[in-house]
Amino acid sequence: MKLLPLRSDIPAESTPRRGLAPAMIEIDRVSQIFQTSGRQKHLALSEISLTIEDGAFVSILGPSGCGKSTLLYIVGGFVSPTGGVATMKGKPITGPGPDRGPVFQEFALFPWKSVLGNVMYGPRQQGVKPAQAEAQSRALIEMVGLKGFEDFYPKELSGGMKQRVALARTLAYHPAVLLMDEPFGALDAHTRTRLQNDLLNIWERDRKTVLFVTHSVEEAVFLSDKVVVMTRSPGRIKEIVDIDLPRPRRRAELLLDPHYQKYVVDIEHMIDDTSEDELRP
Amino acid sequence: MNARALTSQVLLGIAPIALLIGLWQAIDSLGYAPLSLLPPPGLVFARLVQQLFTGAFQQEIGVTLLRLFAGFSIAVILGVGIGLAAAASPSVNALVRPIVRVLAPLPKVALYPALLLLLGFGHASKVTLVAADALFPILLSTYYGASMVEQKLVWSAMAAGTPPRQVLFKVVLPAAVPSILTGCRIGLVISCIVVFLAEMITSSDGLGHLLVTAARTFQAVDMFVPLITISLLGLILNALLQAVRSYLLRGFPEV
Amino acid sequence: MISARAILSRSASLLACLGLLGIWQIGALILNTESFPTALEALRAIPSILGDKEALINILASLRRMAVGFALALVVSIPLGLMMGRSRAIASFFNPLLMIIYPVPKAALMPIIMLWLGVGDIAKTLVIFLGVSLPVIYHSFQGARAVEEKMLWSGAAMGLSALQRMIRIVLPAALPEILTGCRTGLVLALITMITSEMIARQSGAGNILFNALDMGQYDTVFAMIIIVGAMGIGLDAAFENLRGRLVRWSEPRFDIPLSFS
Repeated sequence: MKLLPLRSDIPAESTPRRGLAPAMIEIDRVSQIFQTSGRQKHLALSEISLTIEDGAFVSILGPSGCGKSTLLYIVGGFVSPTGGVATMKGKPITGPGPDRGPVFQEFALFPWKSVLGNVMYGPRQQGVKPAQAEAQSRALIEMVGLKGFEDFYPKELSGGMKQRVALARTLAYHPAVLLMDEPFGALDAHTRTRLQNDLLNIWERDRKTVLFVTHSVEEAVFLSDKVVVMTRSPGRIKEIVDIDLPRPRRRAELLLDPHYQKYVVDIEHMIDDTSEDELRP
Repeated sequence: MNARALTSQVLLGIAPIALLIGLWQAIDSLGYAPLSLLPPPGLVFARLVQQLFTGAFQQEIGVTLLRLFAGFSIAVILGVGIGLAAAASPSVNALVRPIVRVLAPLPKVALYPALLLLLGFGHASKVTLVAADALFPILLSTYYGASMVEQKLVWSAMAAGTPPRQVLFKVVLPAAVPSILTGCRIGLVISCIVVFLAEMITSSDGLGHLLVTAARTFQAVDMFVPLITISLLGLILNALLQAVRSYLLRGFPEV
Repeated sequence: MISARAILSRSASLLACLGLLGIWQIGALILNTESFPTALEALRAIPSILGDKEALINILASLRRMAVGFALALVVSIPLGLMMGRSRAIASFFNPLLMIIYPVPKAALMPIIMLWLGVGDIAKTLVIFLGVSLPVIYHSFQGARAVEEKMLWSGAAMGLSALQRMIRIVLPAALPEILTGCRTGLVLALITMITSEMIARQSGAGNILFNALDMGQYDTVFAMIIIVGAMGIGLDAAFENLRGRLVRWSEPRFDIPLSFS
């Protein structure tokens, strides 16, 4: 078992630490059965058990339909598991909350609010005074690279910009865990790589726990400390791969790094195997 | 849109109306219709303008508008309220759904005699009829708009710390506004139509009443005037609603 | 074994009717005025209306006028709407015209039309025709507009002429939307019919209503309301049934909802 990379001391900037207890997510034998139209039952997830340590960047990787988004929604408290239990810091997850902030592939920005309005939503919900919330939000908007766009509405922004707003909106209420559901899936390749870099830069600042769902092997290896490879439906964990690559990660260097390349090839093999399992009679 | 495209669009829009008025004038000039039945457009518009400056006519417009707004407002408040409640609560939904299915296809104007008996021949019966007719499109639009709100919007708000009971007002209602406004537009048109018709059937004042009075005395010109007035009112109110809609929906992508 | 829940949901509409009648009954008993008969009294008056030959002829005449006006409207409006949907020039020509006519209550044209055409069937049928035309044109227009260009290209590639493409591709593809327009038109036909009869007061169901009102026969008034209401509900239910069968393949659209589907 490879050691996780040590975390360097990074001073907390605008984000206060929420207690010093580790934000541990424990997923214990979680299953999910969906009722499809027509009384058919569909087993989406089967006995998933997983531990996610505080400050870890964990990717959940798998082919379409393997239930990885469902797993994320269970951790987020948006969906209740039909079997098993998910806990955070020892307490069972019963619903959504500001300790687990989502970022969705479809952006899900509030169309009736401006960029600033969207980002300010979380702090205002927490009871932060308007002036302070605005100041914090403006700082965040600048951090994600959208200074000057505060009064724009989501419909006036490109996909990449919308996702930056979505990220800023979630960061604004200081969640201990970031839940990212294929956040760059709807973007073109160039924007995707830019946002991957920006995400890592932002993450480096305070090393939140991140649960990142993707179907791109390269993306998973590039971003994460750990990659959880899932099988096709019904989703099970096939393998957990520790990614022992130094941080901070630079795309240009990594693409030429043989260790990175080996990770990608190995994991791609694993995914191929899971697919072939289905085709073999 | 550049100036030339705009002018050609406007011209194209005016053309059929101008054509219609031209046709109208032609029928009269060529003697295809007796002037007592189809007065020439010039005469009608002159009379219209003259009436618009008359205090009595303005009062009639006022009465009609009053009933229209009162009925429409009631329809909006009830429609949005019930629609939201039905979208949010399965028990309310179960109660409202069958009642709406029974009442919606019923021609509410058939209830008018009943309203006259219960509420008298004054404002109340007309306002109630307007409200009853305008209610259903608004209620249904609100319901469908609210029930089709994107799930992830709700989730994002809840993760940000919105308690479940606030989600209805902070997320569902704003997200449903485009749909609600579409329903309101239909409701507004219906309100214009119904108030006029109610006044025609039985009333002692209002634009509809003016038309019927003129009909009884065979004053063709005076029949056209209230009709054109209500149409213009409808267009103006619609334009106002569109302006409100543009403002409220400035953040929403074009549908 | 059918659960209580299933029975409840299937008879929900019927229960709603009974519930409304119940509220009426209680309300009337509480108010206890002569001008507000109870539901039972109104229901009891129905057979006498339907039994009265003259009343029955009147009601059937109303329905006939409605049917004729509706059919004529369809014959004219659907092709017009379809053509508007596929040709920008035709659309630009008719659009402003229709937008002007839209807010004018067609039944309000009754006195004017009566002035020109007398008080016969033609006047009433014309008004119904106008009332039904607009929503049908609008929805046919929208439906035709939404037909995917690529479907028409495939048709052209297969050798279909413009007219054939219109009939064999555009019409079926736009059919769900057209039928929505027809449903609105049906509702409007009934409303326009009743209203024009209330205004013109020559014959028909609306006339019976107001005659009864004038003569103080309150039971009859409310009984007629129930009859007209039943007509509206019955026609709508029948139409929905037909629509469901004709366009089983389509997905529901809710842009101008008329009722819960």
